[in-house]
Amino acid sequence: MNLPWGRRSEHSEHSEHSEHSENRDNRDAALDDEIRAHLAMAIADRMARGESPADAAAAARREFGNVGHVKEVTREMWGGRWLERLLQDLRYAVRSLLRAPSFAIVAVLTLALGIGANTAMFTVVNGVLIRALPFHDAGSLFVISHEPARSTFISQPGMDDADYDGYRRLTRVFSQTTTFSGGPVTLTGVGEPVRVPAANVTTTFLSVLGVTPALGRPFTADDGDAGHDAVLIGDRLWRTRFGADRSVIGRPVMLEGKRRMITGVMPPSFDFPNGSQLWIPFVLTLDPNQSRLAPVVGRLAPGATQAQALAELKAIVSRHDSLTKSRFDANELISEVIPIRTMIVGDVRHSLYIFAGAVAFVLLIACANVANLLLMRAATRQHEMAIRVALGADRWRLIRQLLTESTLVAVVAGMLGVAFAMVGVRVLLSLAPAGVLPRTDQIHLDGAVLGFTAALSLLTGIAFGLVPALRVTRKELRASLGEGSRTVSGQRGILRSALVVSEVALALVLLVGAGLVVRSFVRLRSVDLGFNPAHVVSMTVDLPNAKYTSAKSMRDLHALAVARMAALPGVAAAAAVNWLPLGHAMIMGDFHLSDGRTLPRGVAWATKPAVTADYFRVMGIRVFDGRTFTDRDDATAPRVVIFSASLAKRLWPGKSAVGERISMQEHPTAGDWFTIVGVVDDVVEQGIRQDRDAAVYQPLAQVGSSFFLSHVSYTVRTDGDPGTVGAAMRNVIQTLDKDQPVEALGSLESFIASTIAEPLFQARLLTLFSMFALLLASIGIYGVLAYSVTERTHEIGVRIALGARPLDVGRMIAWRTIALILPGLAIGVVVSLGLTRVLATLLFQVKPTDLATFAGVGALLTAVALIAALLPARRASRVDPLVALRHE
Amino acid sequence: MSKQPLSRIELLQGTLDFIILQTLRWGPGHGYGIAQMIRANSNETLQVDTGSLYPALHRLERKKWIEADWDVSENRQRVRVYRLTAAGRKQLAVERSRWEQLTQAIAGVMRSPALEGET
Repeated sequence: MNLPWGRRSEHSEHSEHSEHSENRDNRDAALDDEIRAHLAMAIADRMARGESPADAAAAARREFGNVGHVKEVTREMWGGRWLERLLQDLRYAVRSLLRAPSFAIVAVLTLALGIGANTAMFTVVNGVLIRALPFHDAGSLFVISHEPARSTFISQPGMDDADYDGYRRLTRVFSQTTTFSGGPVTLTGVGEPVRVPAANVTTTFLSVLGVTPALGRPFTADDGDAGHDAVLIGDRLWRTRFGADRSVIGRPVMLEGKRRMITGVMPPSFDFPNGSQLWIPFVLTLDPNQSRLAPVVGRLAPGATQAQALAELKAIVSRHDSLTKSRFDANELISEVIPIRTMIVGDVRHSLYIFAGAVAFVLLIACANVANLLLMRAATRQHEMAIRVALGADRWRLIRQLLTESTLVAVVAGMLGVAFAMVGVRVLLSLAPAGVLPRTDQIHLDGAVLGFTAALSLLTGIAFGLVPALRVTRKELRASLGEGSRTVSGQRGILRSALVVSEVALALVLLVGAGLVVRSFVRLRSVDLGFNPAHVVSMTVDLPNAKYTSAKSMRDLHALAVARMAALPGVAAAAAVNWLPLGHAMIMGDFHLSDGRTLPRGVAWATKPAVTADYFRVMGIRVFDGRTFTDRDDATAPRVVIFSASLAKRLWPGKSAVGERISMQEHPTAGDWFTIVGVVDDVVEQGIRQDRDAAVYQPLAQVGSSFFLSHVSYTVRTDGDPGTVGAAMRNVIQTLDKDQPVEALGSLESFIASTIAEPLFQARLLTLFSMFALLLASIGIYGVLAYSVTERTHEIGVRIALGARPLDVGRMIAWRTIALILPGLAIGVVVSLGLTRVLATLLFQVKPTDLATFAGVGALLTAVALIAALLPARRASRVDPLVALRHE
Repeated sequence: MSKQPLSRIELLQGTLDFIILQTLRWGPGHGYGIAQMIRANSNETLQVDTGSLYPALHRLERKKWIEADWDVSENRQRVRVYRLTAAGRKQLAVERSRWEQLTQAIAGVMRSPALEGET
């Protein structure tokens, strides 16, 4: 055996520079040399063994194997190779995309739409749900709640103040706790009087949340004591009212007519709770006659968990009777420990998840579309791929190359998608009625969003590119070299159809979801409120008890204001009411009958609005019996009430309630009796989703307690512009009391619209997304049909040559369309039945399985699919058999 | 791609690296020579596929366990000759002790009476 251990020269001239400094071409040349030497030595050995030169050369080559392959796998070892290969693949991808610009444009636009929608949605989700709350270590902050089940009156987690007082001393799981209550207060002494969202907080508030003022000092333990008058102001208020003046510390302000000293300014993003801009310290003092429910927030002690906190809360409330001596029945109280984010974000989380799911569907449809485009392209490329495989190209290398191409498309689409998203976020926010989305100041593009989009783009590129890439490089296709130009389309046709079927199914799910939410919204909109909000402008005042010391002073102001508003140009009638329907609060209570009957169960409670004479006219509330109030029903006149229809009918069935007498007092004396003078329609008071409420109206002029007179809304019926009329109404109050701010000024319709703002947002957004889905799906259907017509030109030509009329061809395409979408519809219906359950809580008077919605959506999709089929059908029916057959 | 003899034993990547280092212990050699040497030393049992050999040589070179030089062979052919480096020798010692541990362990398992009883 010839062992070629070479004589080593001490130095060959080629080894002067190191291998690593050699450039790639030199290394390639060196590898060629190395392999050539290998073959030469093998041939020499074989010839030495007596083989003929030709046989030796052939045998050596056979033994060596595929030279190209050996070079390829050896080059892999050189390192730095992946970058070069990536650049090479990228160059190749760019070239091949430029060669098919229409494919590239359609693919990029389709994906950019999908990625853009997802990026926009993620930007919102990121801002609202993910970005850090303006607290230190917000994960340790929990809302502690121990109260009856949530209802109209108990809308947020809370704890009775007596319970809290006991609990805060006993808890070990929470290192510190705080409680607070909020509501707007009147700020005077700094420009126009204004109502500012404010919070009364215990002095531990800031240290529990882990926040310190940006300017000035935090609260000290004695800040809540009598004689102390500290107040913290928010950044927004500081900028708008104090011109961001740093010397504001120590400046006095008037809150609800009381003087307080600014001790600090909070950081910009801090407006907890509920957008507060003023924080007023208070000390918990228990009043045995009154109690209140307020949220409690605690910071977990190091190492403690939410589960421990809940266990401790339950243990404390069950062990200590004092804690359950509140006005509630201990058995109906529910203990909860809730992450603070849940309280801030509220129900929006659920909607946002649904939207995020919806846009993900849109992206899936976009991916299916582009995968289909790639499959069609693959058909024309399989020849090229077969040649490259035959030339020794590694299959994975080809797949990598094809994936580079699809990822390039996705990345370009991602960049365009970010641009789309920047517009999209603005569209989303403009579609969101005011107040629907919390934390909107946190919604903007940031690193997290860009990272999300980058990851999504790469994933998308692989998602829609992998199956086509695997398919086009399949081993069997290597055999296609020998085939003619006719491509075998059967299996790929099935795959393409499957993609369209899934697109149709996805689109159907989205359309059904949108359809249900829209239907539910229409139901909400068409609820008979019992009053007519059109052409009504309303405005609310909160009279401070410090200034309006008597009920009479309040009544006088209201009477004067209503009289002046009624005289305003364009105003048909004006009235005042102490609690406007669908407002944030209302008065409910019971009453007694003069005949000694006790009230039947379930009728004991009625709302008790006090109104001025023209209220029913302004609000368009129907009068069924008797009369409405007049100006003569004043403090000196006999006391009268008006009943709403359901109450009158229930108590005096079959006869008129007019003339009957009732009392609001437990033990009425002669003067406490009211005579029913009229019966009016029931009105929705608590919420559009709730039933209409029974009501007992009183004349405002006969109300004796200032508690029922301080919070009053003025309403006017007008044909004029709500803005102009509203300004005039505000002016009326300003001339009567220059320090009195007004709130909630606007048309009653817009006010009511704001109570159904969230369903409106849901309806708008899901409609938008489902339209995207429908558009993309119809493009997908069109693409597959158009391609199959091209593919079957020959067959169609034969049919026409055999006497098929254009109509027959059109019918054939129509049937193919139906066959294509029917499975999609079926799958979509099944998936929808499973998925629409997540919408159940959003829906009003519409079942998640609403037949009409399903049927309508199915019909819509079918119609759109047939429209998409029109163009290919037309083309098919115009196939010229001569041309088609020669095409072969 | 290349035709492979049925008797060929597939070499694990790490094993091939070890065998190449071991072969180069006797002196520098080129790719063809290393392949022939492995074949001869294994009584024709181990046939190294060129598609494995050259990547392995270039990989070992990149790890600096071997280094390459150009030389001219007897028949005036320019050849690339590989030789062990100091790091390569050290690596070979490590691989060898690992190999010995492994073969001893496997031999122990094979001799185990419990297992013999089952077969």
